Amino acid sequence: MTMMTAEQYEESLRRLNLVVYMFGKRIENVVDDPIIRPSMNAVAKTYELANRPEHEDIMTATSHITGKKVNRFTHIHQSIEDLVKKSKMGRLLGRETGCCFQRCVGMDSLNALDMTTFDIDSKYGTEYHTRFVKYLEYVQDNDLTCCGAMTDTKGDRSLPPHKQADPDMFMHVVEEKQDGVIVRGAKANQTGAVNSHEIIVMPTITLREPDKDYAISFALPSDTEGITYIIGRQSCDTRKLEDGTMDRGNLFFGGHEALVIFDNVFVPWDRVFMFKEYDFSRQLVEQFAAYHRQSYACKVGVGDVLIGAAQTAAEYNGVEKASHIKDKVVEMNHLNETLYCGAIACASEGHKEPSGTYYVNTLLANVHKQNVTRFPYEMARLAQDIAGGLMATLPSEKDFKSDTVGKWMDKYYKGRADIPTEYRMRILRLIENLTLGTAATNYLTESMHGAGSPQAQRIMISRRVNMQEKQRAAKRLCGIE
Amino acid sequence: MVLNSNTDMTVKVGLKYCGGCNPEYDRVALVKHIQESLQGKVVFVKPESEGVRLILAVEGCSTACADLSAFQGMEIRVITNIEGGDRFIKEIRAQSGSSAD
Repeated sequence: MTMMTAEQYEESLRRLNLVVYMFGKRIENVVDDPIIRPSMNAVAKTYELANRPEHEDIMTATSHITGKKVNRFTHIHQSIEDLVKKSKMGRLLGRETGCCFQRCVGMDSLNALDMTTFDIDSKYGTEYHTRFVKYLEYVQDNDLTCCGAMTDTKGDRSLPPHKQADPDMFMHVVEEKQDGVIVRGAKANQTGAVNSHEIIVMPTITLREPDKDYAISFALPSDTEGITYIIGRQSCDTRKLEDGTMDRGNLFFGGHEALVIFDNVFVPWDRVFMFKEYDFSRQLVEQFAAYHRQSYACKVGVGDVLIGAAQTAAEYNGVEKASHIKDKVVEMNHLNETLYCGAIACASEGHKEPSGTYYVNTLLANVHKQNVTRFPYEMARLAQDIAGGLMATLPSEKDFKSDTVGKWMDKYYKGRADIPTEYRMRILRLIENLTLGTAATNYLTESMHGAGSPQAQRIMISRRVNMQEKQRAAKRLCGIE
Repeated sequence: MVLNSNTDMTVKVGLKYCGGCNPEYDRVALVKHIQESLQGKVVFVKPESEGVRLILAVEGCSTACADLSAFQGMEIRVITNIEGGDRFIKEIRAQSGSSAD
């Protein structure tokens, strides 16, 4: 097998034996759980589109290891064109799903590890890259979804890992054995964790010598003994348990995050890609972060959906010709396409690393992600402005379909005469979903904190900007020697 | 020249889409329209198929980023909008000697 279909992907998840908790109870059937399933549908879309001729040019690539056609989410970027297509793939899937499709974090982990393991081996004569390439081939051949796990729970942010009151606040090695290591810790906010076949763990911060036991990177099957998942709540999540579909906003897709606990988990050596090389922790974190900040091209696709919904709501309300409405829609498009500019630019200005992997321009990737921490919020504000307050005050679908009060809703929530009231309610629910509901977790808060909070990008921007050259240019023009 | 004017053979056209990240029209619907308009004259097949005489690249916008490197040396037509589809239909009809219907 090289590429799975969406159906094969779903079946492959059923074969996993994940330990998943939600609302205090173990979920026995993860795939069919009504709260989790929309997120599985979104990942399944990455498989479905790769098998469709009208999308395969973006969704697939040629493996540099085997020469086989592979899903781009398992590919190591071999050219600028690959980097650009990755950005385009994000927009495509964001628009198709209207949510986070969860698979980019694994792709970004693979690419960052390909470069870092190569560089560790070059310095220390280790064999991490050989192990990693073997693992990558396994991932590609089986078309696996990987959860990239970076964010430790971190405890007291003012203290390094080795000074934490509880040493498990950062993932660390608790025992070194002949055949592998035992690790303990937890990774928070893990997107798509229970829809993944594999989990790839990396350090979350730059580490120093006293923290070398925390300098660990590895990959494991997601159902390895000792790993437990606790599903995070999302605003309006239990609407998925209600009868009907209108109040969900997005009928088909969603995202999820989980706290992933590693309780004394064994990792065999052939799955270890960094062990105590603390001096490469910063590189791995930065390379993963830059790739993942590029990945926020997906929010442009979700933005496409929000713009389409706002325009539709305006038309249903009969206000689409008002000049201020037209201007607000233009502003939404301006913001959205500005985001796309950054996603394309950081890819187009990428370069080849010693490992042969192509890497994004880190300054532009961080500028792009910094914009992503802001623009979706403004776009959400504009969409809510256009939609009107009804978006947040609509009674339920059950009321709309009630024999007694439904007629009143149908009558008084009517907008334009030729548009059914139900259509108006549905589009308003979609805007609610994206800006206040389950999808807002991904469209807004994930835009803020995913791939690093805003300050992380500002630190990188300050590191990457060539200030001396800017000063030289300024001084030359005004006659300063 | 893709078609002989006096032939009644159906020509295999290799269909290659761009990835469709942000298309400006419905590429699949346009291909369906082309196929229906050229019924009996062309058949769309996978671009890597045997006996392909022409590649039709259906691009969602003028960036036209579909990877055509595998088809070097082959005759290629590139469509970037609906009008391009109509031009393709006319060209094939003209070459096969049939009038527009």
